[in-house]
Amino acid sequence: MKDRGFTILNYTLISIVVLICLYPFLNVVSTSFSSNQAILAGNVSFFPVEPQLGAYRQIIIKIAIWKSMAISVIITLGGTIISLFITTCAAYALSKEKLKGREVITGIILFTMYFNGGIVPLFLVVKQLHLLDTLWSLVLPHAMNAFNFIVMRTFFRELPESLEEAAAIDGCNEWMLLLKIVLPLSKPIMVTIGLFYAVELWNNYFNSMMYITNPDLFPLQMRLRQIIFVDALGQNADSLVTMVMPEALKAATIVISTLPILIVYPWLQKHVAKGVMTGAVKG
Amino acid sequence: MMNYLKRYYILYLMCLPAMVFYIIFKYIPMYGVVIAFKDYNIFEGMTASEWVGLKVFKEVFSQPFFWQAIKNTLILNLLTLLVSFPLTILLSLMLNEVRAPKFKKFAQSLLYLPYFISWVVVAGLVTNLFSLNTGSVNMLLSKLGIGPVSFLIEEKWWIFTYIVSQVWKNLGWGTIIYLAALAGVDETLYEAAYMDGATKLQRIWHITLPSIKNTIVVMFILQISKMMAIGLDAPLLLQNDKVINVAEVISTYVYKVGLVRVEYSLATAIGLFQAIVNITLLFIANTLTKAVGEKGVF
Repeated sequence: MKDRGFTILNYTLISIVVLICLYPFLNVVSTSFSSNQAILAGNVSFFPVEPQLGAYRQIIIKIAIWKSMAISVIITLGGTIISLFITTCAAYALSKEKLKGREVITGIILFTMYFNGGIVPLFLVVKQLHLLDTLWSLVLPHAMNAFNFIVMRTFFRELPESLEEAAAIDGCNEWMLLLKIVLPLSKPIMVTIGLFYAVELWNNYFNSMMYITNPDLFPLQMRLRQIIFVDALGQNADSLVTMVMPEALKAATIVISTLPILIVYPWLQKHVAKGVMTGAVKG
Repeated sequence: MMNYLKRYYILYLMCLPAMVFYIIFKYIPMYGVVIAFKDYNIFEGMTASEWVGLKVFKEVFSQPFFWQAIKNTLILNLLTLLVSFPLTILLSLMLNEVRAPKFKKFAQSLLYLPYFISWVVVAGLVTNLFSLNTGSVNMLLSKLGIGPVSFLIEEKWWIFTYIVSQVWKNLGWGTIIYLAALAGVDETLYEAAYMDGATKLQRIWHITLPSIKNTIVVMFILQISKMMAIGLDAPLLLQNDKVINVAEVISTYVYKVGLVRVEYSLATAIGLFQAIVNITLLFIANTLTKAVGEKGVF
């Protein structure tokens, strides 16, 4: 009987924690659909009050937001492809025990997990390469991540040796082996690592703060930051004052920019949690 | 040898993109830390600038705000750890006791969600929730007759808000590592304890906790070793002029000195100092984890 009480208490507490986790999202969605008066009076909590679409109507005509959305999509897709390519090649080659110099090359990669030059020297390199104010600056300086490399190498190491022997008999070289045999077997790890990179690229705003000064090239997070924190100080009081409360508009912008993450989320949490475990256990 | 190369040169070619990346974006910047020992002149560039030895470091150490930033970093990290560390273990234990797989899965997927949300959005959610006049938190407080608290402007409340947002974002995700350790606990031990009439809490205390003790110790040592490292996103997005005395941390300070005030040598020196402290702490942590019989980080 005692255990029963424990179980009920446990489920209740977990439900409360889950609710706390979700509440900020519910609240921001509700705010984005609520009327000025309701927001000002502080009446909005779980559900929209006096529902309206004003904030979204305003966003639809804000071209800057859509431009930034497009830029974020481009750098997320492009960056993920570049990162996956570099990481896969290196992880595959370095998963081969027989490759001479493997330890040295791996060491060069892993050392960067513990020491780096800091943001100023990196900034100077990016500047020297004339990448400032280009979309490359948002993709290349962090194109490969040592942690993702470890996770992927672990996966490749566990593939059966016999694959390789069979391929060698068929006269496959290493490149064809990777493309035709290993990659089709590696879909789960590709999805996991791809999602790691994609989320990082989508969510990152600091790189654009460092390297991008041209507002036409602002990715979504940077634009969002501007709308939430700069406009709030009245430095950009353009058309916002008219019909819609800035609060609702901010909330709607948050909703719009989080939506892509929510759409891929079911996938994300399934794959990524597994990937983290492989990395943490075998790293 | 020629045969070996002929067979395996493709594998070396595959390493090439990664090597080019690491040299350009990691090792050249690492060499770039030499500007911490130079009087960096934008017109002369990295190599031509004059060597000044430890002059820049002396300047760094003489700046009161540098020490303030270190103090703030340690305070924010330590308080966050103090709150999040026990809560993460507690939540893992709670989730581990859930016997309904559907409820467990459902709860877990919702708990992991905040981890994938960008800090810009989190900061937006936080300002929305904690705002003085319209935020849900102050509305709730006013119903209880307390009120209104300036969470984002008053120093001690800003620290509170910072910790809350850190815990909110990372708590669920942090349970993964413990849940994995808990999955390995021997079920027969529970059955034996159940037969002996042990209550649920006794079982958790005497069987579950001891069996993940090593994971807890290793995680704690690791966290402690990261005390001087702090992400830039959260403090930079949440801070404002009124709380800058508690909210300026090393990473935000380096950013402002280097990229806003354009004092490259100074910022690099601060960054280098931090990196050296970090790696020293990590080495100590590694030795300690090996001492408790675990694999260590390296």
